[in-house]
Amino acid sequence: MQRYWFGDVEDGGCRPADGNPASVAERAATLGVSMETFVPLDWRIAQECGFVRDREEYIAKLREVTMHLAREKIAERFRGGDAELLSMVRMLDDLDSVINLLNERAAEWYLVAHPTFSRKYRTMPARKMIAIVGRQARGGMKQVAEEIDRLYAARTALMQEVSARAFEVLPNTSALVGGLVAARLLSRAGSLEALSRMPASTIQVLGSERALFSHLRSGTPPPKHGIIFQHRRVHNAPKAVRGRVARVLAAKVSIAARLDYHRGAADPAFIREASARIDAAGEAA
Amino acid sequence: MIRIGNVLVSPGEGGVYGERMIEGCRVWDPYRSKLAALIMLGGEIDLLPDMRVLYLGAANGTTASHVADYVETVYAVEFAPRPMQDLLEVARRRKNIVPIMADAGRPGEYAPFVEAVDLVYQDVAQKNQVQIALRNAAFLKEGGRLILMLKTRSVDVRMDPKDVLRETVDALSPAFRVITACWLEPYHRDHAALVCEAVK
Repeated sequence: MQRYWFGDVEDGGCRPADGNPASVAERAATLGVSMETFVPLDWRIAQECGFVRDREEYIAKLREVTMHLAREKIAERFRGGDAELLSMVRMLDDLDSVINLLNERAAEWYLVAHPTFSRKYRTMPARKMIAIVGRQARGGMKQVAEEIDRLYAARTALMQEVSARAFEVLPNTSALVGGLVAARLLSRAGSLEALSRMPASTIQVLGSERALFSHLRSGTPPPKHGIIFQHRRVHNAPKAVRGRVARVLAAKVSIAARLDYHRGAADPAFIREASARIDAAGEAA
Repeated sequence: MIRIGNVLVSPGEGGVYGERMIEGCRVWDPYRSKLAALIMLGGEIDLLPDMRVLYLGAANGTTASHVADYVETVYAVEFAPRPMQDLLEVARRRKNIVPIMADAGRPGEYAPFVEAVDLVYQDVAQKNQVQIALRNAAFLKEGGRLILMLKTRSVDVRMDPKDVLRETVDALSPAFRVITACWLEPYHRDHAALVCEAVK
């Protein structure tokens, strides 16, 4: 028997599928045939079958079915929100670098325009510097400074959104390392599926690829941590135990990512035990 | 194939991706499309009005839209969701494109939708491009052609592209007879086009 999208064909006989496009698509999606015994279809069978009147109708109906299936598959691939979260994190990171770039350029410009002004002996973070420029400058420089200030606001809002979304998409991972770090891990891995397939040792050094490959090539010291360094449990740990904390945290994150991918819901018992284990690793030996 | 002066064009509704129009025809740029490059380099292929084509790796549907201008039906297979969104939009306006979202390496999944074709055109950035071509040979009619756009850098970046081409020609040999194999210089680097005939 040959199974085609419009029906089953056997010994010259043919059973057409139910005419409703949605049910044709539903049936066709599950076919999957073996290529060894497959005979390429001839559209005339569909005509003899009484499924269509002519070729024009054949192609039109076929297109309806394949386009319907394609739209469903696209939606399926984008579902779960990890695709959108990915775009959000990358936008956040790009915003950071753009803001930094504009900041530096604006500060440079302001210093040149005001020869007596110096940043020395004043604790002046970039944000504050931009506020001064925004108040004192005029014309284009003022406008740019105000734009940068708005970008800061956008960045803060986006950061909160990313974190909130990460808790939805990666509830277990986010509970261990926080939404932002969880989202960055996801962005590095490329997808939740990819992250869930990674070994703990890879997760531990995600984001420090340069140090890792320089280690592999020329024997420099190996990196202890990548993105997970951004989590307070790692960067607040005493230097002597930082490597151990990173290792244990990565091990728990790899389990958390698998829970997130396969189960998609927070597991309080796991989070409690994993947190306790990570805290224990942080206590000095 | 239609040329105006020395410019390759295809007849059809324009504006798919901002292509230039000449005398109501769409300019088919060999620097963008590998198939256009092959045609400009005198590859022995022809797209005829009664042809049915299986296009593997249709991506955003730019080249697929030009092919559809020439032939009767194009079965366009693409796996990645983002380009598929574009391909669906192209197919919405071109009634002879049948877009299929599937993995070209697993023909069993889309075989129930595809009829026997005159031409398989394959442009996929996969390491196992040759296996994919062999697996899709079943769709070709007797004497049908395969055009394989060999991305040598996708097969193995460390190997000399010439060696990749030689190995590919050998690997295709039981199922296909290679008619021409040429490099797409100066339009595309490290890409070879293989025009083959199905041996049945």
